[in-house]
Amino acid sequence: MVSLADSGATVAPKKPTRRAGALNRFLMIVLMTIVAIWLIVPFSMAVLWSLVDPETGWNYPDLLPPSLTHLRWVEVWTTTALPQAIANSYMLAPTVAVVTLILASPTAYCFARYDFAGKGLAQLATLLPLVVPGFVLAIFFSSLIFSLGIYSRFLSILMAHCVLFLPYAIRIMTVSFGQVRQDLIDAARDLGASPLAVFRAAYMPALLPGILASLIIVFIQSIEEFAIAFIVGAPNFTTIPSILYSYLGYNFIRPNAAVVSLILVVPNVLLMLGLERLLKSANPAQTGVKG
Amino acid sequence: MRWRRTLLILALLTPGLGVILLMIGSVFYVAVMQSFGYYNLVGEDSFSLEHWEKVLGSKQFSRSLSYSAYIAVVAAIGSVILAYPIAIWLRRPFRGSLAISAVLKAPLFVPGLVASFLFLNVIAFHGVVNQFLMWIGITDEPIRMQNDRGAWGVVFLQLWKNMPFALLLLTGAVQSISDEVLDAARDLGAGSFARFRKVIAPLTVQAMQAALIIIFIGAAGDFAFQVTAGPTNVQSMAQYMVFLKDSFGRWNQAAVVGVSLMILALFGSLILAFISSVVLKSGNKW
Amino acid sequence: MTALRSIDVSKVFEDGFTALADINLSVDPGEFVTLLGPSGCGKTTLLKIFAGFYAPTTGRVEQNGADVTSAPPEKRDTAMCFQSYALFPHLTVAENIEFGPKQNRVDRDERLDRLNELLRQVDLERHREKLPNKLSGGQQQRVALARALAMRPSVVLFDEPLSNLDAKLREQVRREIRGLQRKFGFTAIYVTHDQSEALAMSDRVVVMSGGKVEQIGAPEEVYQRPETAFVADFIGSANLLPFDRVDDHVVETPLGRLTVSNRPDPNARFICWRPEDAEFGVSEGGNIVTSDISERAYQGAYTDLHISVAGAPDQRLHWPGGASCVGQSATFRLPPERIRFVRGEIA
Repeated sequence: MVSLADSGATVAPKKPTRRAGALNRFLMIVLMTIVAIWLIVPFSMAVLWSLVDPETGWNYPDLLPPSLTHLRWVEVWTTTALPQAIANSYMLAPTVAVVTLILASPTAYCFARYDFAGKGLAQLATLLPLVVPGFVLAIFFSSLIFSLGIYSRFLSILMAHCVLFLPYAIRIMTVSFGQVRQDLIDAARDLGASPLAVFRAAYMPALLPGILASLIIVFIQSIEEFAIAFIVGAPNFTTIPSILYSYLGYNFIRPNAAVVSLILVVPNVLLMLGLERLLKSANPAQTGVKG
Repeated sequence: MRWRRTLLILALLTPGLGVILLMIGSVFYVAVMQSFGYYNLVGEDSFSLEHWEKVLGSKQFSRSLSYSAYIAVVAAIGSVILAYPIAIWLRRPFRGSLAISAVLKAPLFVPGLVASFLFLNVIAFHGVVNQFLMWIGITDEPIRMQNDRGAWGVVFLQLWKNMPFALLLLTGAVQSISDEVLDAARDLGAGSFARFRKVIAPLTVQAMQAALIIIFIGAAGDFAFQVTAGPTNVQSMAQYMVFLKDSFGRWNQAAVVGVSLMILALFGSLILAFISSVVLKSGNKW
Repeated sequence: MTALRSIDVSKVFEDGFTALADINLSVDPGEFVTLLGPSGCGKTTLLKIFAGFYAPTTGRVEQNGADVTSAPPEKRDTAMCFQSYALFPHLTVAENIEFGPKQNRVDRDERLDRLNELLRQVDLERHREKLPNKLSGGQQQRVALARALAMRPSVVLFDEPLSNLDAKLREQVRREIRGLQRKFGFTAIYVTHDQSEALAMSDRVVVMSGGKVEQIGAPEEVYQRPETAFVADFIGSANLLPFDRVDDHVVETPLGRLTVSNRPDPNARFICWRPEDAEFGVSEGGNIVTSDISERAYQGAYTDLHISVAGAPDQRLHWPGGASCVGQSATFRLPPERIRFVRGEIA
């Protein structure tokens, strides 16, 4: 089994290739063109649709909308449940991120610093939430909480999201705890540090990037998650994805869907970029010799 | 001392692994029990095979099952086939390679529903693609790409969303092969295809299997893409399950579909992973 | 006919770095040639041009008289032994060795003959079904060697093959490589930065620095008659002194006026002598030097003495006895025939 965090993060620095420069440039131009169409066209269509003037509309065969306005944004904001959904999502996600981190840390610490029989199997078992289809989990989780008599939608979704995203947090924190250097711990203790001081000196610097990465990734996943929020939350607890679904599914309103799509995806992309910068700047901080 | 250490490890594992096992275990338990007539929201609990018989006997179920299996196989294999050459191309950094891999991986961070919406605009009946095709004169009238009977819209969305994931795993695996090992293969007379078949493929088989398994499971359980862009004459397993639950609260039948979907996800992905390793390892025998 | 030849080969990388400039080298069939130099001198680049991994920016490469400049590595009659061994981690010892012959469609009987012979030759018969990571470094090195030889190449290219082995093992594998070369009669080009390896193994040594050839010659030649300050300093240790020419047989140096038996080369910048050239216990006949000893280091077979004179700091000489029987100063003679003239700069 290949670990998710390892394969992406550890790219050994290599010298740039010196062969086939011209071929690479050509391939790159072709690919960049495809990718521009791949990403830029769909996103600009979404932006345009969110700005379509309801008076004139955007009908075939107009290539571009005849007039643009921000009225649609105002309308969606004032007449739909979107503000409530945003409030719900943005209350839920940070709570999920923090609770997941707290739940994940002891297990991650154990994986990183202890060897025991069945460790491989235990690590594999933490991936279980990733391999159960989301809607199966959602439907029978809702059935489970019903029979347990839990009626708080917020609490139910919180529980389900924590379990669903624990694999990511455990994986990231295992790597982080593995980077805590035993010699630093020993040195701090040798110099007479209290347990708290040992934690601050030896653990915190190595753990901080992992903690932030885990919080951000779980936050994003929770904002985006649809199956559980939709099935467990329905009908009175709405999140941003369930609002989007309502405009995509049985009641297709393209401009409204455009507005909600952008509200859902733009903050996440910004967070993702921030995360990447964070991970890059964190790398040189892991100074020290190996072995 | 030994038992204290064991206790400590168990205590550390409980909040993370313990919670996962408890929750997934009980959800699984509820699903299985409901499919056999227990945990009813209304009415008496009693063991019965009636729900299984009813669902397995319906034509809709077998259509759903084979449809979801088809989408999952195409998504998993297609993503891996598209991702392999790109991963090999991006193995060694060159100017711009980081930008390319960032752009290629962007769909990973686009939620499924948003991805659906973005492409619905593009492939709509009067969308950009159709207008472009008509403008350059390839077709006379718009082609139906959304909710098409061949499910091409869904397949396209699946590949768009999952190829980056396969790329992520395969890039890591391909990059961990040392330059000297590949140079050695060349030096010993292996051309590009032989290098792929005999060195790269066998050394990345685990990453490829991980990609196949996870993509297969995700695509088999797809709801969002199917509801927005899928054919209207067939339902995916997840869609069918939600439909059964929502119409007249047929929870027990929904449970049958849910359990079947889990079986499909588990065995389908394992079979796929097994076949792929057999195919790749045959590269070593001559 | 030459086995391998480079004609005016230069290599400039995309980033503008000139790795090689106008390299001309001919290697005879069956010859063992070492490319010796510090890291970054271009020796590995030249080896990779011979193997076909790099195309030279200008110039040509010929093998057995045929132009192979643009032939890719998989089409060349060369086999390479890599620094990291580069064994295929998913293949057993036997499968690794058979990789090349299978690619080249050697028929089964012939392949198995070669495999068995090579396994016996490198003493790995007991390990034939093992994966490389179950073998020691020395064993892996021998598998890499056997894998290269299974191709029956006319040229074997070695890229610092012993640098990952410890000193004892290095000497053993060094002898094995020479033994195999004599047995199979292949031409060998061997890259190393270890001068003792180069001196011990080679028929000829090519000393390189900064992408250029400094000197080509038999081991004795490059050691005894270095042509440049770089060669003198890189191979063994050398004392280099500036000089003024007095006449064809006398030079003025910081150590005093010295008689030389070689005529000073008009381009020469330094005179050079080696620590073991100093003769002790002789006090007449010219070229007598007396100096205070600044440091001494006992080395077992001899004692390393350092002397410093104005204009020539830190000259070294070998006193063939224990450290305790040396006084405060040393008096020694430099035989005129041991004083060489060298070109170039001191690094």
